Amino acid sequence: MSNQTGIDLEGAKEKAGASSLDGLTRQRLLELESAPRTKAQIITDYVICIMPFIVGIAAELEYYFVPNYGSNQITKVYPVFLGILMAAIAVFLGIGLYHKAVFTKLREKAPFYTLIFVLLIAYDLLTLKSNTLVSPYFPYVDQILNAFFTDSAYLIESVRCSLILLFTGYAWGAGLGLITGIACGYNKKFNYWLSPFLKLLGAIPSVTWIPITLVLMKTLFQASTFVIALGVWFAMTIACITGIQNIEKANFEAARTLGARGKQLIFHIAIPSIVPNIFQGLTQGMSTACMALITAEMIGSDAGLGWYITWQRSWAQYAKMYAAIVLLCIIFVSVNGILNAIKRRVLRWKEGDER
Amino acid sequence: MGTISLNLDNVSKSFASADTNNITHALSDITLRVKDGEFLSIVGPSGCGKSTILRLVAGLIVPTTGSLTLNGEAIREPDPKRGMVFQKPTLFPWLTVEQNVAFSLRMLKKEENGAVDRLIQMIGLSEFRHAYPHQLSGGMAQRVALIRTMINEPDVFLLDEPLGALDAFTRMNMQDELINMWNEKKQIVMMVTHDVDEAIYMGTRILVMAPRPGRVVDDIPIEMDYPRNRTSRQFLTYRKKIMEMLDFGRAE
Repeated sequence: MSNQTGIDLEGAKEKAGASSLDGLTRQRLLELESAPRTKAQIITDYVICIMPFIVGIAAELEYYFVPNYGSNQITKVYPVFLGILMAAIAVFLGIGLYHKAVFTKLREKAPFYTLIFVLLIAYDLLTLKSNTLVSPYFPYVDQILNAFFTDSAYLIESVRCSLILLFTGYAWGAGLGLITGIACGYNKKFNYWLSPFLKLLGAIPSVTWIPITLVLMKTLFQASTFVIALGVWFAMTIACITGIQNIEKANFEAARTLGARGKQLIFHIAIPSIVPNIFQGLTQGMSTACMALITAEMIGSDAGLGWYITWQRSWAQYAKMYAAIVLLCIIFVSVNGILNAIKRRVLRWKEGDER
Repeated sequence: MGTISLNLDNVSKSFASADTNNITHALSDITLRVKDGEFLSIVGPSGCGKSTILRLVAGLIVPTTGSLTLNGEAIREPDPKRGMVFQKPTLFPWLTVEQNVAFSLRMLKKEENGAVDRLIQMIGLSEFRHAYPHQLSGGMAQRVALIRTMINEPDVFLLDEPLGALDAFTRMNMQDELINMWNEKKQIVMMVTHDVDEAIYMGTRILVMAPRPGRVVDDIPIEMDYPRNRTSRQFLTYRKKIMEMLDFGRAE
């Protein structure tokens, strides 16, 4: 029994190690370990955090007091927009005064926020104030913001169409890619018949097929879906094959000695093992899908943001075109953000993701 | 406790390499009888087929010639009755400690009757039940691997250098832990090790093997009571004998 106590002792030691610095947060720990900050450094931190406001106010003043070029008209939308940005940062700073971690975060982000305001001032000077970047190709920010309101019905409809198309194609591609990828990784015969096609398709961007799909498919929507799905399917299949080839053999052996058989080995060992690869495929597939989406909409569609962009350009409505481009950026960034958030949640078990 | 009998009759195993036509004779004509209550330590230089014996008994590989039976039934494929613990813990990294331990029950669709909790408590890792394998130290992970196999109460426990990667202290603790476990159930344990002291400290019987082709050169019963004293005269006599045998094997 002596050994039993030996184990308990070790368990107790582990416990003591965890609790001797009770209530220690990561923030507190960093503070304890870092060199004390001088007064000058602390003041610099605050100045940097306030910089975005100073430059933001400068942007407002520049907008109102620098004379406009020619007959350029301005509205209140841009200053309100600047105000909202500054208010958001103010809330950030307000919380930061009470929470050290938030303040540290703001201190890290503040220089970049400042840069955004600097860029806004610079762009405003180059367009609205001097026409250095020539109108109508380079509308000033106020015009772009106004375009969101004047054409909101069309824009919302376009976003809806684009999202439906994107996710229909993405879902088909990811689903089929998962199946063929696992089949190819697992089954030599499948791999024999499919891998030549994979090599062929992989060399060509999927948007190449748009002209052909336009002829073959019944509707424009189907043709666009197909092109998007094709790119995602390819990325997904390759990721799954690579994943299966790199599965730890020892995991299969351990599972077999523990009684796992046939399908259980696929569902409980193979698939969980390749989840990191699946996410890699999903991320890569998303970027090709976004590219294919816009190309498909610009060339062969009659709805969606890509179509809206070409349509407004043909009417020389550049402000509206830019508005649509901004929306695209927002959509793509948020879609990728959501994907990454899901990935972090699902891959919690992966080494290094925790600490 | 019913009787357990593991028989290997004239078992040979050869491997063919994939690219060249080289054939390696990993094991040649092994005959072995093991029954319940025996703790068999297997020692020998690398390449003598120690691990191959375990993998054959586990059913992970099939013999080239000869036959293996457990309680009269031929061994063809892995079975939870023959549990194996590998040198690396091989815990499934996507499952928590608790889920890893329960894995076998889930695969076999057996009911969980508190065994998972009991075993985790036994190895002193209750606080880590929701931890993922990468958060565990080597010793902790190996203990989890051990109880993950133990949960099936196997007739034959196959240990392929399970303590090889651990530091000296953890290792000695685990040796006692393993002996306890075996004392309680008195099943068959077959343990491969590089460490002669470990083999003598733990086994009721030591199989000494030699390479090229892998074969058994001696089968030595260890007649000492547990817990054994690593520095007793008897212990050192066994040690000397086996060491000399291994030197002989290497010189060949």
